Amino acid sequence: MLPAAREPAAGDSWGIIACLCTVLWHLPAVPALNRTGDPGPGPSIQKTYDLTRYLEHQLRTLAGTYLNYLGPPFNEPDFNPPRLGAETLPRATVNLEVWRSLNDKLRLTQNYEAYSHLLCHLRGLNRQAAAAELRRSLAHFCTSLQGLLGSIAGVMAALGYPLPQPLPGAEPAWAPGPAHSDFLQKMDDFWLLKELQTWLWRSAKDFNRLKKKMQPPAAAVTLHLEAHGF
Amino acid sequence: MAVPVPWACCAVLAAATAIVYAQRHSPQEAPHVQYERLGSDVTLPCGTANWDAAVTWRVNGTDLAPDLLNGSQLVLRGLELGHSGLYACFHRDSWHPRHQVLLHVGLPPREPVLSCRSNTYPKGFYCSWHLPAPTYIPNTFNVTALHGSKVMVCEKDPALKNRCHIRYIHLFSTIKYKVSISVSNALGHNATAITFDEFTIVKPDPPENVVAQPVTSNPRRLEVTWQTPSTWPDPESFPLKFFLRYRPLILDQWQHVELSDGTTHTITDAYPGKEYIIQVAAKDNDIGTWSDWSVAAHATPWTEEPRHLTTEAQAPETTTSTTNSLVPPSTTKICDPMELSSGAGPSAPFSIRVPVTLALAAAAATASSFLI
Repeated sequence: MLPAAREPAAGDSWGIIACLCTVLWHLPAVPALNRTGDPGPGPSIQKTYDLTRYLEHQLRTLAGTYLNYLGPPFNEPDFNPPRLGAETLPRATVNLEVWRSLNDKLRLTQNYEAYSHLLCHLRGLNRQAAAAELRRSLAHFCTSLQGLLGSIAGVMAALGYPLPQPLPGAEPAWAPGPAHSDFLQKMDDFWLLKELQTWLWRSAKDFNRLKKKMQPPAAAVTLHLEAHGF
Repeated sequence: MAVPVPWACCAVLAAATAIVYAQRHSPQEAPHVQYERLGSDVTLPCGTANWDAAVTWRVNGTDLAPDLLNGSQLVLRGLELGHSGLYACFHRDSWHPRHQVLLHVGLPPREPVLSCRSNTYPKGFYCSWHLPAPTYIPNTFNVTALHGSKVMVCEKDPALKNRCHIRYIHLFSTIKYKVSISVSNALGHNATAITFDEFTIVKPDPPENVVAQPVTSNPRRLEVTWQTPSTWPDPESFPLKFFLRYRPLILDQWQHVELSDGTTHTITDAYPGKEYIIQVAAKDNDIGTWSDWSVAAHATPWTEEPRHLTTEAQAPETTTSTTNSLVPPSTTKICDPMELSSGAGPSAPFSIRVPVTLALAAAAATASSFLI
């Protein structure tokens, strides 16, 4: 799966983002390789779950500030626009039965790919006009999100699943297209934050489901660790 | 000379009887149903009768005073609820109504109150509505639900007539739901709508079967157990966390404990001998709001049974009741010189005194051992 974000925005910034995206694909694999003697996926699933909760909490504050920066109508609680554009954003929404029957590998892969895409888009947010405080919050959030990606990668590695790789030779041609209007750009930002929030809620449920499935082996592993501790 | 009266007489009599019979047994026209607004004025014409026709009006069989009439029309001013009824107008000296009106006095509907809630996440949610003030006449409600541009079916609740259910097909949606309701009756129309995200309306039902029991030999403990609400369809994939609150009946201040999993908890700081009231609430681990408080459980911590003195007469002590009002304070049963010197009173919690006396005894023992 390739983060083919063919958004018609002008400038070299998209080239930089393409570069960053390629780097991001490979980066989380590194800490996973260093994991030898893993106690099993249980503790790292719990850690990933905790991270989604932490990020969701962080996002609440960040989104509020960012939407105020975008100004009305984006910061109005009743704002309910139709979903137009933002086609490249990974959507958390899924059929109930399909979600329930996802196998572990697919569940993890969907989460990993989603956050990779979202992180890419988040880094591309136009922060020129934003206050320094907001830029700092965004940067901090990106770092935390990077941590979540690493955590998911760790779980996948522990379970023996391969990390999704970008398709070879399918790099998008970042041709600078006509500039997005200011309003449409803000709409994209709005949907990005909305999708991020929804994904974090979904991930909490995804990782809780994984945790429940892994429970018996995880319990045995933690007992083993406790014996050593005392 | 015999006049052919009997024949003519019979003919007239027969005709008259036929007319009377026809009038009596002809099917009466159904009363005209009319709705009027409370407080308004209404003029009821007597069907097609001329304005100057001589008529009497009756309501539910009772004659109405002629001063209410304007010609053959009935005028009612400042309608009240009591004016509702079956109005009939009659030609003078006839008991066959010329015209009937079934009058209902009521009000047009005010803006309905609509709310939606998901106590069965992720299965679906329900919406319920009511009118803030009665209309006194029949109302019809029409509910429509939209998810973005997609129309969703709101199935009527089999038992409750102001509730309908919507099933989730997709989860984790960024698109809001919009539920609209319109209400109308013969006097008017009103509507309202609410918009919300999937996650904000999640509120489970309260936990069920909250039971609190004393723990034997532990005067400060109470063991509380409960069950996840039966309406929550999938506690495995969508776990609930719980909030417990408890206080002795004699105090107003609640103590709170939040529990991330499990359906039991042991209270370890109960006041001995005091009856407690305990309630539990539930919430999805990650989304939505807390449920209402559960039905309260009552319990009193375990207290030791009173020990009977052996010098008591052979009075049959068959009833060893453990109701706390009858149990004498446990501090009086042991004649402990340490306790007497520290002035233990019956109201003092016995359990707090014990460590002090033990400590003193231990100190005395070690002190004496050093002296030897």
